[in-house]
Amino acid sequence: MDADKMRTLTLGISARTTYLPVVTSFVESAAIVFGMKKDEYLRLGLATEEIFLYLSNFVCQGKPLEVQCFNGFYYTRVLFRFSAVELNLSGLNIASNIAPDREPDLDAMGLMIASRSVDHLNIVVEKNNRICLTITKEKAYPEPLEVLPLPQSTDKISTETPDAERLKIFATLTAQSHDLSQRPSFFTYPGKLVDMVASGEYSAIVALNQKKEVGGGIVFCYRTEKNVECFGPYCFAPEQEKIICETLLAACISSIARTKALGLLSLSGLPASIRSNFEALGSLRYSEEGKIPVDQFSFYRLLHEDPGFEVWSAGDLTDYLKREYSRLALAREIRTVQNMGETRSGASLFAAEVHRDRQAVTLRPLWPGDDFSANIERHIRFLRDDHFLNLYFELDLGIPWHAELIPLLMAQQFKPGIILPFAGKSDIVMFEYNNETKS
Amino acid sequence: MKPNLDILVPACVREFEPYIPSKPDAELMKLYGCARLFRLNNNENPLGPPPAAQKVIRRFPPPKGAVYPSGDSYCLRREIAALHNIDTEQILVGNGANEVISFVIKAFCEKGDNIITADKTFAVYEWVATFSGIEARVIPLIREGFDDQAMLSAIDDHTKIIFVCNPNNPTGTYWSKQTLTDFLDAVDGKQIVVIDEAYFEFVEAEDFPNGMTLLDQYPNVVVFRTFSKMYGLAGLRIGYLAGDLNIVDMIRRTCVVYSVNGIAQEAACAALRDDTNHIQRTRDLIRESKEFLRAELSSLGLPLIVGEGNFIIARLPGSDTLAYRQLMREGVMIRPMTGFRYPNHIRITLAQMEAMEAFVGALKKILH
Repeated sequence: MDADKMRTLTLGISARTTYLPVVTSFVESAAIVFGMKKDEYLRLGLATEEIFLYLSNFVCQGKPLEVQCFNGFYYTRVLFRFSAVELNLSGLNIASNIAPDREPDLDAMGLMIASRSVDHLNIVVEKNNRICLTITKEKAYPEPLEVLPLPQSTDKISTETPDAERLKIFATLTAQSHDLSQRPSFFTYPGKLVDMVASGEYSAIVALNQKKEVGGGIVFCYRTEKNVECFGPYCFAPEQEKIICETLLAACISSIARTKALGLLSLSGLPASIRSNFEALGSLRYSEEGKIPVDQFSFYRLLHEDPGFEVWSAGDLTDYLKREYSRLALAREIRTVQNMGETRSGASLFAAEVHRDRQAVTLRPLWPGDDFSANIERHIRFLRDDHFLNLYFELDLGIPWHAELIPLLMAQQFKPGIILPFAGKSDIVMFEYNNETKS
Repeated sequence: MKPNLDILVPACVREFEPYIPSKPDAELMKLYGCARLFRLNNNENPLGPPPAAQKVIRRFPPPKGAVYPSGDSYCLRREIAALHNIDTEQILVGNGANEVISFVIKAFCEKGDNIITADKTFAVYEWVATFSGIEARVIPLIREGFDDQAMLSAIDDHTKIIFVCNPNNPTGTYWSKQTLTDFLDAVDGKQIVVIDEAYFEFVEAEDFPNGMTLLDQYPNVVVFRTFSKMYGLAGLRIGYLAGDLNIVDMIRRTCVVYSVNGIAQEAACAALRDDTNHIQRTRDLIRESKEFLRAELSSLGLPLIVGEGNFIIARLPGSDTLAYRQLMREGVMIRPMTGFRYPNHIRITLAQMEAMEAFVGALKKILH
C-alpha cells in the first residue's frame, strides 16, 4: 500500500559487522521518531544488534542486506531481507536451550537474546530464496484510571466510525464489563486501541444511543488477506443486547462484504443472541490461575461461496478433519503426506505469540528441520516451566511440511481443537496442549 | 530483472480483489459429492434460448469459426433499433452487459470523479468504478428499493454517472414511471443516468417504465439490456446499451470492436425474431414458480423479498453461506447474499417446478 511506503524507512547495506553501529542507530533513531519509549527502542536496538551480527557472521556475510523500519503506530517493526542458501535460526526459538559454556552455542546466544527482547518474530521465505526476518516491538500503554458509567437504553441505535475519544470510551467500557476470557487484552489499554485503528490495521464501529453514548462496539482486522477477525460485538446495555449486536455485526459485514475477505472469524466469543449468524467452530480450553478453566468458543461465517480446495494431513488428524469438514459442510480434498525417508536437515524454528497476561502462548512453525520432535518437547517444557497454562499450536493445512508435525504434536499431548477456515494459506488447525475433558 | 508491480500497477488495480467465479459444475459436484445440480444461483432462464436462437446455435457452420464477426454487430443493432423504434447508431452491443458498464464508465469518468449507485444492487457498477480509480458512492436502499432522494443528495460537482438498476437485482423493487421521471427531472441532464433493465422482459407490473421510451425526452439517459436473462444466451455473453446519438457517439470511443462473437450476434438476432411466445412462456413459468416458492417459504416462516424478475430472496435464521454449502450437498446451488450486503439472505432463481421442489425439499432438510 502507498500509505505503508510513507511509514517505512529503508536502509540498504552489506552484511558486515563493521556496519553494526549504522544499523543499530538507524533502527533506534527510527523507533524514536515512531514514538517508542527509551526501554522499547533500546530493546529493539538490542535485538537488531544480535540479529545483524548473526547474519553478518554466519548467514550472508558481506552480501546485500536490506533493513526496513515500519511505523505501525502501536508498534515498530524491523524487517531484515537477505538471501541465504542454508539457514540455521534455531537460536530464535523462544525455547532455545543455549548453553553459555559451550562454544558453538554462543554463536546462537545472540539470537536467543533477540527473540526475547521483542514481542513478535516472523520469518517468511520470499521469491528467489530471499528471506524476510521480522521483529516487532509494541509500545506500552497506561490503563484507564476511572470507571465509566454504563449508557442508558434508548429506542434509537445508530452506528458510526468512532473518533479517538469515543474509541477510548468503547475500550474502557469493554474492559470494565468483560473479563479477559471474553475479550482480547488490548481493550485494557484504550490508547493502544486508538493507535491500532489509526494504523489502519484495525477498524472499529460503535453503536450510539440517542444521547450519543457508546452502547457497544466491534473491532475487526484482516488476519490474512482472506480472513477478517472480529472482536465483539460488545454491548453495554444488556436489555438491548440483541439489537445492538445485530446492528454492529451488520455494519461490520457491510463494510467487508465486497472486499478481499472470504470469511469472518471470532475467536474471543460472541453474545448468545447473535450466534446463529455464525457457524460454531468448536472451543479451546482457557485456564487462569486460581480459576475454573472455561471453554472458549470460536465462530465463523463465510462471506461468499466456499470455493473448495485441498488440505494436507497426516496420521490421526485425517479422521478429525473428515468429521469436522462434514459438520461444517466445507468442501475439502484431504491429501495425506507420508514420510518416505527423505532427508530433512537443519534446525526447525517456531514463532511464539506470547500473551503473558492471559498465560497463553500460540506456537507456529516458521522453518522446517530434522529436530521437530525435540523442538516441540523443548517448547512444552520451557513454557510449562514459565507457568504458561494455555499452550496452542497452529498448523496451516495448505503447507505440506506443516503436516509432518501432526503425529509429533499428537504424540506429545497436543490435540486438535478447532479448524479456522481460510485463516492461513488454506485452513488452519489449532491444537491445544493437554486439554482435559471439556464441559 | 522482474518488473516492479508496485510502481507499474495503479493502486486502484493493485488493491482490488479480482472476482473469483464459481468452479465449473462438474468440479463443484465432485467437491460437494452430489450426483445432479440445479443451478438456481445466476438467474438463468430454465427454458434456455428461444427455439429460433437454439436453431441458429445448432446450425452454426463450423468454418464460420475462422471468420471475424461484424465488428460493431451491424445486423443485430438494426434488429434492436427496429424493436425499440430508435436509430441504429443509438445502440452499442457488448460482450455481455458487464462490458457496456465498462464502456460507459471509461467514457465519462476520470480520476477524481464519482459514480452513484445503491449499496445492495448489482455489484459490477461499483467494481468497475473502483478498479478504474473512480469513487463509487453506494447509497443504502430504502424499503429494499433505490432511495431517489438520498441519491440526489449524494450528487456533487464530480458526479458523472448514476446507476439505477430497474428492477433491482436482487430485491426486484422498481421505480415507477413517475418516480423515474421525477428523478430525471431533478438531475436535469447534469449527469448520465444509466437505467439497467437487465430484467425488463420479466416485469409484469403495469406502472413499470420502459427506459427506451425516455431517450428522446431525457438525452442523458442510457439504457442497458441483456440477452443473458430472458433470452437465455448467458453462455454467449451479449448485451447492449441505447442512448442519445451524441451520448452513444462518445461511448463508442471507448468501445472495443469485435468483442462480440459471431454466433452470439446471430443467436441474439434470432432470439428477437422468435415467434414462439418465448417471453410469455417464461413469464408463465416464473409466475407459477414464484407463487409456489412464496407459499412454501412463507409456511416455513421465512421473511421474503418478492418483486419483479425471475428471483426471490429469503431470509434464513442463520448464515446464508452455510446454507449455500449445505444445499450444494443436496444438489441445489443458490446465491448467498452476504456479498450483496444482505447477510443471512439467499437469492433463488425461479425455475421449473422440479428444481423448485428439489430446493424446497433440501431447504426443509437443512433447516430442521
